[in-house]
Amino acid sequence: MKNKKEVTRRDFLKTAAVAAAAGGARPMTAAPALLSSPNPGSTVHYGFIGTGTEGCNLLKRLATIPAGRCIATCDVYAPNLKRGVETIGSNPQTYTGSPTEYQRMLERKDMDAVLIATPLNEHAQMVIDALNAGKHVFVEKTMYFKEEEGEQIRKAAEANSRQILQIGLQRRSSMLYNIAMQMIRKGALGKVMFVRAQWHRNNNWRRPVRDPKLERLINWRMYKEYSGGLMAELASHQVDIANWAFEAEPLSVMGTGGIDYWKDGREVCDNIEVIFQYPGGRKMTFTSILYNAHLNYNEQIMGDRGTLIITIGKGMYYREAAAKSTNGKAKENWWAGATVTQQAVEKGIPLFPEEAQSGQQGFLDREMLYAKRWLASMGIFEYEEPHEPYWVELSNFMASVRDGKPNACGIDIGIADARAVIYGNRAIDTGTTVYWPKKEA
Amino acid sequence: MDRLRRIGFVPGQPGTPASYPLAARIAGRFGYPLLTRLVATLSFVLLLFPVVGPPLRAADSLVRYEASHRAMGTVFTVVVYGSNSDYLEEVTNQVFQEIDQLDDQMSNYKPGSELSAINREAARRAVIVEPRLFKLIQDSLQYSRESAGDFDITVGPLMKSWGFFKGQGRLPSKSELAQVLKKIGYQHVKLDASARTIQFDTTGIEIDLGAIAKGYSVDRAVQILRDNGIKVALISSGTSSLYALGSPPGDHGWQISVRNPLDTSKAACVLRLQDLSLAVSGDYEKFFKLGGKTYAHIMDPHTGMPVENMLSTAVVSLSATDSDALSTSFFVEGPDAARHYLDRHPNLTAVFFLPEASSHEFKQVVLKSSTTKLPADAFISLDCH
Repeated sequence: MKNKKEVTRRDFLKTAAVAAAAGGARPMTAAPALLSSPNPGSTVHYGFIGTGTEGCNLLKRLATIPAGRCIATCDVYAPNLKRGVETIGSNPQTYTGSPTEYQRMLERKDMDAVLIATPLNEHAQMVIDALNAGKHVFVEKTMYFKEEEGEQIRKAAEANSRQILQIGLQRRSSMLYNIAMQMIRKGALGKVMFVRAQWHRNNNWRRPVRDPKLERLINWRMYKEYSGGLMAELASHQVDIANWAFEAEPLSVMGTGGIDYWKDGREVCDNIEVIFQYPGGRKMTFTSILYNAHLNYNEQIMGDRGTLIITIGKGMYYREAAAKSTNGKAKENWWAGATVTQQAVEKGIPLFPEEAQSGQQGFLDREMLYAKRWLASMGIFEYEEPHEPYWVELSNFMASVRDGKPNACGIDIGIADARAVIYGNRAIDTGTTVYWPKKEA
Repeated sequence: MDRLRRIGFVPGQPGTPASYPLAARIAGRFGYPLLTRLVATLSFVLLLFPVVGPPLRAADSLVRYEASHRAMGTVFTVVVYGSNSDYLEEVTNQVFQEIDQLDDQMSNYKPGSELSAINREAARRAVIVEPRLFKLIQDSLQYSRESAGDFDITVGPLMKSWGFFKGQGRLPSKSELAQVLKKIGYQHVKLDASARTIQFDTTGIEIDLGAIAKGYSVDRAVQILRDNGIKVALISSGTSSLYALGSPPGDHGWQISVRNPLDTSKAACVLRLQDLSLAVSGDYEKFFKLGGKTYAHIMDPHTGMPVENMLSTAVVSLSATDSDALSTSFFVEGPDAARHYLDRHPNLTAVFFLPEASSHEFKQVVLKSSTTKLPADAFISLDCH
């Protein structure tokens, strides 16, 4: 299905290298000492590799985080490089042209950290090179592309253990998700047995390409040479939530998928349906489709006493109408009042307080009050306004590098997540159940 | 603080002897000779084969089992005490199954329900009705006659007109109301007891059992609990219809707090009930606001307008069906008319929460039946703040 007229990313990068040779790079003059150990009050100087759509999403947030300063950006595609420079607004030095140009950027001694938001197939080498160059590293999810890369990165991280390696699973930095996980740990959902997640869209998941030659560069997500498809780009966020909720990695995965709707030359599925099995019979199902967006994306975490339906910016808790059996007598004090409507019960309880929509003092308002008191009494309700997770994860990274704050999403989380993505895709590709390697005792 | 006033509160009367037979108690509730005989026969059979649940084992201890179940647009909750949690769970599941079947039969939201079929067809022909539903409709019409139409199961079209059926409130025009009122009236429902059929004498009549079905379901649930040897239980249908069976261990009666209609997080009255039911009608759960005015879901069948001069009513009686119907009936007609009913019917306690000029205050009126002859095991204490 590969269009012969298309150039591969590698071809493009080679060509671009020649074109960029004449451009030259302006060396930075100021060169602060490398932050090899936490140094509160200082500024983290960082370089940014990959200033495409996701890269600019990060740069937009970084532009408002004073703990860090972007001193260099790197991208092989000039329009993206330009966009990145404009987005960060800190007049960074640019590196472009050769696919190995980022290595030249890594040679800079005045650079403390590197953030990587390139196509998936490039993550591992860049992370390893950056760690070995003495940089703290933030890499977008999925952490790596091929199974063996996990251990290669681990080796590099262990050899440079004073440096931070943070993975860009931004839900880990969301206060909402952290509260959800506390609710789970404190038993608000009872025994958590199932996570159902979906990421549904109704579009072709492509980016516009002006020049067909750039197809594989711009739409790298469509091609297996660079991309893990929907599993790597979308499921990775949500499998991580199941890992987090279950406090475990899966034991096995089965799945299916296909290129059944968008038959446009893409190599990755336009729909995938997978089931991850966790220890203790717990399971997670994930579906992603590109031809119906009604359900959009969220995760539904289900226990025998309640359900959390959660996504970035919104979480609802629903109590299960479940039975409970206790020994001995309870204090019986029952309420009588006008009929409580089922609708009010089914509306659920927001994880964050929201102003009563109509000012009505109905059932939901009372439930809200009750829920707030109850969550606060369990020590899992926080009244601070949450920050947007992208911003928080990048602030966390800067705080880890500069102030020695705990890493919000470290290598173990990243490897567990990447492994689930890789095995999930293998299950789809082979039509077999794929098992996790047995852990050594 | 709310300014409260009590009228005519009479403390609980001593009950009848402990030998008061179950059959007569149940039959007395329905006042129906055939049923008396049926229940008497059933009780005799029960005496021969006593239903007491599984035998107690030495290791068994007191178990409390609580479960909730969504049905009839609300949530039913059951608490039972016993010695074996598996058995309690099985009995409770049987209760919920029964409630689901009643919902399937009596719902006017479900096109396939028996009630929906009646509503579709009874204007054209006589429709044969399942015996117990027939009895419930008979009883409903009796409540209508006794309340001069303040209680009326034909208010369905009114509820639809006001948008309560779909949960989107709207204000019907005067001409629309006039049209709808032509379709309201229990007199249009004709029953033939010998053929067990129902017929409407005009088109457009619709039966809505919303003001009685939940109480009736609670009674049916209590019967299942009793049949399975349960001695101590509480069942609540969305907090508006409750039955207190026996008393929790160590207590005299189940403690139940009636919500303050103006601040529903607070209790207005606290009751203790044993072998009695309680129903509450209120305007604070189902209502909508329009142009600064609040319209609640309890309709005056005579005017076609939501009742305005009542915040809430609570009724205690031996049967949850009675309590449910009467709490609605009393809500519409108010304490003065209710007093006449209480003069004629025994064993009732009613609390009226009436609005005052200030929107922060209400008046509380407690009325009791002129005669009270509660069975020995029935117990009520009522404490209104």
